[in-house]
Amino acid sequence: MNPPAPFPRFKHVLVLSTAMLSFISFWKAASVVLCDMGSSAYYAGGIAMNAFGPAFPWYVLSVMIFSGLMLMVYVESCAMFVRGGVYKVVNEAMGHSMAKVSVSALMFDYMVTGPVSSVSAGLYVSSLLYNILPLAHISWHVPHKLFAVLFAVTVTAFFWRENIKGVEESTEKNFKIMGFVTLVGAVLIIWSLATVFSRGFKLPPFDLKFTPASLGWMADFPYLQTIGLVGVFMAFGHSILALSGLETLAQVYREIEDPKIKNLKKAAFSVFLFSLVFTGGLTFLASSIIPPDLIGGKYLDNLLSGLALELNGPYWARLALQCFVVVSGSLMLVGAVNTSMVGSNGVLNRVAEDGILHDWFRHLHKKYGTTYRMINMVAVIQIVVIILSGGDIYLLGEAYAFGVLWSLVFKTLSMIILRFRDDIPRDWMFPFNIKIGKVYFPVGMCVVFLILITASLVNLMTKRIATVSGVAFTIVFFAVFQISERMNRKKAQLYMPDDDSEEKLNMRKEADIATILPELDKARKILVPVRNPNNLVHLKSVLETADDETTDIIVLAAKISKGIQLEGESGDITPEDKDLFTSVVLLAEKYGKTVKPMLVFSNDPFYSIAQVAQAAGVAEVVMGVSGTTGAEVQLERLAMAWGMLEKKDSAHSVLAKVVWEGRELSYKL
Amino acid sequence: MNRPFMIRQSEEVTLASVLKSDFIFFLKGRPSREEVVKLLTDGLYPQVRALITAKALYDKVTEVEKLNNVLETGFYIPHAKLAEIDRFYTALAVIPEGSPDAKSGITVRAALLLLTPNKPVFFQKHLNMLSKLSRLFQPVFMDSIAAMKDRVRVHEAIGKHE
Repeated sequence: MNPPAPFPRFKHVLVLSTAMLSFISFWKAASVVLCDMGSSAYYAGGIAMNAFGPAFPWYVLSVMIFSGLMLMVYVESCAMFVRGGVYKVVNEAMGHSMAKVSVSALMFDYMVTGPVSSVSAGLYVSSLLYNILPLAHISWHVPHKLFAVLFAVTVTAFFWRENIKGVEESTEKNFKIMGFVTLVGAVLIIWSLATVFSRGFKLPPFDLKFTPASLGWMADFPYLQTIGLVGVFMAFGHSILALSGLETLAQVYREIEDPKIKNLKKAAFSVFLFSLVFTGGLTFLASSIIPPDLIGGKYLDNLLSGLALELNGPYWARLALQCFVVVSGSLMLVGAVNTSMVGSNGVLNRVAEDGILHDWFRHLHKKYGTTYRMINMVAVIQIVVIILSGGDIYLLGEAYAFGVLWSLVFKTLSMIILRFRDDIPRDWMFPFNIKIGKVYFPVGMCVVFLILITASLVNLMTKRIATVSGVAFTIVFFAVFQISERMNRKKAQLYMPDDDSEEKLNMRKEADIATILPELDKARKILVPVRNPNNLVHLKSVLETADDETTDIIVLAAKISKGIQLEGESGDITPEDKDLFTSVVLLAEKYGKTVKPMLVFSNDPFYSIAQVAQAAGVAEVVMGVSGTTGAEVQLERLAMAWGMLEKKDSAHSVLAKVVWEGRELSYKL
Repeated sequence: MNRPFMIRQSEEVTLASVLKSDFIFFLKGRPSREEVVKLLTDGLYPQVRALITAKALYDKVTEVEKLNNVLETGFYIPHAKLAEIDRFYTALAVIPEGSPDAKSGITVRAALLLLTPNKPVFFQKHLNMLSKLSRLFQPVFMDSIAAMKDRVRVHEAIGKHE
């Protein structure tokens, strides 16, 4: 009798290679946040000085101390939701309509982040050119603001193009930028301290000197200005733009490695410490070293350059330091432009998936596959804002504070409401709570909220242009959301549940399982077969206990493909497969552990499991229980497939487990 | 979660020790899968006559058989767990011409009926046995025993290759 044809083997393996499956240390997470938040050090002081005079360092420092409290609010929200940005949290707490309002305010924040950062960078570069070019006998008379506008438009256009092409933000790049900035900051601080030591130190005054512009509508209520606390909140409101970038912490949390909450707290503390020293400390040193007339004049738009130039020492050294300050500042500020585009694109995609934004916006670029219409809208608005501002950093800063404050107000209020409404266990809570029954009454968070709402309401009065533009923008965006939602409903589109968005899945096709094996280089391997996105208890049990440093977790979806020529074409990924892998990725993100998801097509799933397990040399196979056959039948099938594939005299044994709620069966094969 | 129920691998049970040569059958023609199971059940029954009725045995085997699959190698292991027994009982059918399985499209070359005690302590041995059987009954081995046409020689070959 002729020997039978070799039993079919799967020839194609699809490996999920989405970027979300790699996790980062708390250092890198902190650097991503600081590339946004830390950049405010370059303009916050000057804007505050312009608003209320030489007391500005106190208020910038107080905002940095307050940032520690806001970071704690964000830690609690991330502890509740892995993807816990403003939209998600407000939606959970206050419902759909308020979520739309909060997103509109957040979008205003993003729309101004880019312009304020790029214009600030342009002003720093312009001041440097004014100092350097004459040394090379080049006559340079381009007005600062004009140069800043041109620079900002160019930078925005550059990142517009990069985002259309879909170039991903690199945490590695952010980390290097922050490293460089930290180095320059350290030199600046040490040199400044040396200067202060030799010249003497005088604390900045406390009295507030508001300009008519910075009083806004408050000028019409002179009796209010006599109340000291009102003045304090006015000044606080003018300094609050130093607090931008916190939303980035919520965006980056999903990428933080295990143990997630612990690393999140470390990242938050690193951000707080850096901001306090860098933004708060440098602003204080600038006020001590730079003569008051120059702070309010020549160095208003480039405070840290002014600090470098006014230190003790030879001019060439100070000029060199200014170069480093401008380069490091530009890297951060320009990076914040990209962050704003990426962030706003992400938020718009998120709300579009919930049916709040019309599908027209989600149209993908033919070549690059990006949501180019959203990116175009964001970039165009940012460029228009830059041009309309005319390079006036003060105007931009004031508008910026509107978006920052109101998105923080919505966030904090939502977190307070969720304390009363939600039983979601929290791995961490904002401190200072009073337990009343089952509820932890959030005394601490309520104080934070009161500060925020007061500053926000005072800001509405003191910043005319920001209030008008911010409110108008919010109304327009809210209207766009409302109209989009109605149009989507009319099209009878499925209203997506408010779960996390569909993961952008990149599946890479490999010829054989053997080509993937070199990627599994950790000492221990666990294979987790999956099939049903609602039955991932077994994967969760592995993620809870596996050591990410030493263990590769292979998540295998084995699809039955009877009738297909397995030696030739394999099947395509279906929407059900996407749901499955999205659930897998979300679970991996929650635990901050790396997984290697794969999809194989074969006649027999147990055969696939055994083959992958033997090829990879796994120590454990952990299955979820099958509702149709039961745990014992699954183990029997696996045992048979294992024996069928096992080479004679093979010493490789594997622990086969079936895990379900409250039970686990384990046997050795 | 309850403590995991886990059995460590205990002493090896060899197929040659539980399968007697008297219960190795050569089937002529191309019987269907259902006919193979019936023939094996009838063939094994004398071993457990004192413990269970023929109908009860057949019902138990066919109940589990619904969830069972023919292996890609062409080997089939109908099996059942019985509370009435306290050790393994087996019978082997060698099908030289092959038995087409309508469900999978695979031609069954050999089938071994395995009865296991329905006790938790035996499940690890049961899994070990299933694994061992799958490893042993590869296409080349099944070809060689089909050509022997002698149950004693088949039993010896099993003992040798196990």
